[in-house]
Amino acid sequence: MNASPDPFAGAPDEALLVAYANGDGQAAAVLTARLLPRALAQATRMLGNQTEAEDAAQDAMMRLWKIAPDWRQGEAQVSTWLYRVVANICTDQLRKRRGVSLDQVAEPLDATPSVAAQMQTQARMTALSEALAQLPERQAQAVSLRHLEGLANPEIAQIMDISVRSVESLTARGKRALVDIMAGRKAELGYGDDEPE
Amino acid sequence: MVMTNPNDDMLDDLFATARAAAPAPSDDLTARVLADAEAVQPQPATTTAVMPGLWSRMLDAIGGWPAVSGLAAATVAGIWVGVAPPSSVEDMTATFIGDEVSVSLFSTDLLFDEGAWSDG
Repeated sequence: MNASPDPFAGAPDEALLVAYANGDGQAAAVLTARLLPRALAQATRMLGNQTEAEDAAQDAMMRLWKIAPDWRQGEAQVSTWLYRVVANICTDQLRKRRGVSLDQVAEPLDATPSVAAQMQTQARMTALSEALAQLPERQAQAVSLRHLEGLANPEIAQIMDISVRSVESLTARGKRALVDIMAGRKAELGYGDDEPE
Repeated sequence: MVMTNPNDDMLDDLFATARAAAPAPSDDLTARVLADAEAVQPQPATTTAVMPGLWSRMLDAIGGWPAVSGLAAATVAGIWVGVAPPSSVEDMTATFIGDEVSVSLFSTDLLFDEGAWSDG
């Protein structure tokens, strides 16, 4: 597993961020390897669009680089901070989309077994993203952190800086709203008579 | 009894589909992010020494305040010697006003002549 020795192996993200802020050249590469995949995955799940997700992930990482010199150690974990930033960037992006058909900008995600399956997966992710875009921002963030990232409510509470009870309320209302929004697209997304894949 | 909405199943499946999407960052994206990091990385702090003023530089050159006090004492002594020169010094000053007087620097008379210093 250690194909390339990591001089920062075991070092917390926060220590790497401080090293980066102090001019260490390698710290950025290690932080990117650790954090970019997760930021990109979160953005992809929320936006359902590869290009937009890549831009969002790059934007989030840029904000990390910029905040590095002012990072207040011990206040928040880097990973928690990044979840919040990606969620904010993505909800901003979703808001811009309102009223605009995503079909115009949708791009196929990475290869799946067949073209048909790939198209259906893409259509479903696009539909989910469009539905998220119709939710109030806080609901969209809570729902995505809970159901797309699979995070526990206390962690989401920390990320969103709200109480666990508020997280429960936001996710419940958000999910209910999503069900209503998606109900009309059941057949279109292949959930009619067919078994869901 | 809890009624399950069949649409809940669809939503759960959509969530699962989205969760399965975990694309690896492309080389291009990684390069862009690293370029950003390099572009905004703070440079190691360079400390610019503040140029001290003329007075403090002169003070440093002569050895600080202890040296200044020594200089002050020497100045006072010099003035005193000028105003009321000891007899041995009078011999030396005579050379400047014309009298030919030879003074040996190593003369024990000059160095240890009590009267030369105590006569004021």
